[in-house]
Amino acid sequence: MENTCLRFLLDTQNEDGGWGFHTGSTSRAEPTAWAVVALVEWASTQAHKDAAFRAFHFLDAAQLPDGSWPTSPALREGSWVTSLACLALLGQNEFSGKVKRGFGWLCKDLPGEAGLLHRIVRLFVARKKVGTQNESYFGWSWTIGTASWVEPTSYAIISMRATPPEWMSATAKRRLRIGEAMLFDRMCPGGGWNCGNPMVYGVPGEPQVSSSVWALLALREHPQRPEVQKSLAWLQGELNSIRSPASLALAIMAMNAYGRPHPLLAESLQTKYEQDEILWDVPEVAWAALALSSTQNWLKQKSNGKS
Amino acid sequence: MPRPAPSLIPSFSRPQSRVAIRNSLAYQSDLAAVLHETLLEFDLPVRGKTVLLKPNFVGFDPLGMTNTHPAVVHAARETFLRLGASAVLIGEGPALERDTHAVLESIRLREYLGPLSQIFVDLNLDDVERVRLKTHASRLNELYLPKTVLGVDFLVSLPKLKTHHWAGVTLSLKNMFGVVPGGCYGWPKNALHWAGIDRAILDINAAVRPDFAIVDGIIGMEGNGPIQGQSKNCGVLVVGDDPVAVDATCTRIMGLLPEKINYIARAATLLGHIQPAQIQQVGESISSVQTPFAVLDTFAHLKARV
Repeated sequence: MENTCLRFLLDTQNEDGGWGFHTGSTSRAEPTAWAVVALVEWASTQAHKDAAFRAFHFLDAAQLPDGSWPTSPALREGSWVTSLACLALLGQNEFSGKVKRGFGWLCKDLPGEAGLLHRIVRLFVARKKVGTQNESYFGWSWTIGTASWVEPTSYAIISMRATPPEWMSATAKRRLRIGEAMLFDRMCPGGGWNCGNPMVYGVPGEPQVSSSVWALLALREHPQRPEVQKSLAWLQGELNSIRSPASLALAIMAMNAYGRPHPLLAESLQTKYEQDEILWDVPEVAWAALALSSTQNWLKQKSNGKS
Repeated sequence: MPRPAPSLIPSFSRPQSRVAIRNSLAYQSDLAAVLHETLLEFDLPVRGKTVLLKPNFVGFDPLGMTNTHPAVVHAARETFLRLGASAVLIGEGPALERDTHAVLESIRLREYLGPLSQIFVDLNLDDVERVRLKTHASRLNELYLPKTVLGVDFLVSLPKLKTHHWAGVTLSLKNMFGVVPGGCYGWPKNALHWAGIDRAILDINAAVRPDFAIVDGIIGMEGNGPIQGQSKNCGVLVVGDDPVAVDATCTRIMGLLPEKINYIARAATLLGHIQPAQIQQVGESISSVQTPFAVLDTFAHLKARV
């Protein structure tokens, strides 16, 4: 199974060293970051190492002058992809300067609701709130100047948790702490997460597998927290009804990260890939490869720029 | 003086729009026959052309009340193929979930359409092209839009009839939020919310105005839509060659006033018609199918007096 995924990644790498979301599409930083994380996780052949090396250079060239990464080469503005590019380059000494600049941008990048103007406005419209979340907690947004959401916040925390401790400034530690508080606060009432709306006009939000997995991976330093336990129980209950390969791969990843491996799930994932179903996209295949890794090195903290 | 883009014709010089209402329908009906018969009257220029159907698949929908029903998508695809289209693609970029495959599985799209790999385009992950916006209702100025959307010959908005807790209603115009790629803007596409939902709807539709609209109003959603409301049986399909006129008609069917829905009222200046006198109504009358939809208290002012 992992060979199928890694073969797909090798076959779909573009000439410029990057990957698009699909075979033959334009290289972009996000699919490239996921592909390289998967290749480095396995790195069992020279071909994997060579592909990863070329991808590092693609990411290197894609970084913007302010240290961030855009979602598309044509865009000149930072985004959530910065967390993923940092994660992909962590552990590579040659690129440690790039990663430090990326983290610097992440620490400075505030979501829209954390801005002074927004906080003042909030004082006057507090009674009109449509949700229940505590807006003094904030994490990271998808794009500059917009609101915090569960997935980009999770990506940033996962990245920071893998960062060498000596790179974590006081600001970074504070952002990490507030971001985790935001995730706990945004959990759906019955456990699990959706994109970030646990309650709208009094109606509880429905959790989703993908958002829940990213939040659980981000919060894995807090396995005993009731929110984490409740969300793991929710995810456990969902396992048999997951039908898409991407969500299944993510669910396996989360269960592995919390020491609850489920061999039947891996078999189920393999079956789905053998059926050659629709929408083979690069991040999805990379997640499948990561889900089948027994070491999960990609989530572990690096030291001095090395694994 | 340069001519305005086709989408940007002032309402006073825009020809009359046509909207058809068909009723007494269920998802088990022969919807393809109904749509084919209806669309023949429009004499659409689709022979030999590539058509893109843009349904509203906003997220998971096991109960079938949030997303455009796959039976309607299937019927629309069959209809355009029968009308001579060389290819009919289905494209959507779900707003709230990046696992598009999971969304499609939750609505059983494959059971209606067969293998999707050659006909479905995940607009969230498509290659993109920079588009300078033709209007500046919002502060967006430009958007990166999927090449598939920009490259097709004929674009059809295929939404569901729903209320919306921020915009009032979500129909064929609001449905176009789904062409903005999550791969550039995230899940949800929050940059559009921060730019002002009403204003962003106008700018997107001025940039990529649908050539035609087919609204799934067989079962709609009322109250706290677009995802947390209650299902509402309405039993209609509303189709037309002007998305603004179609949305105005749908709004009236819902017992609401289109003139009071900010983005529809503003769309009437450049993108289409909302005045009944400028809409040629065919099929059923609005009054014969009118089904008042419940709205949140914040939208009580939208209700028409019966």
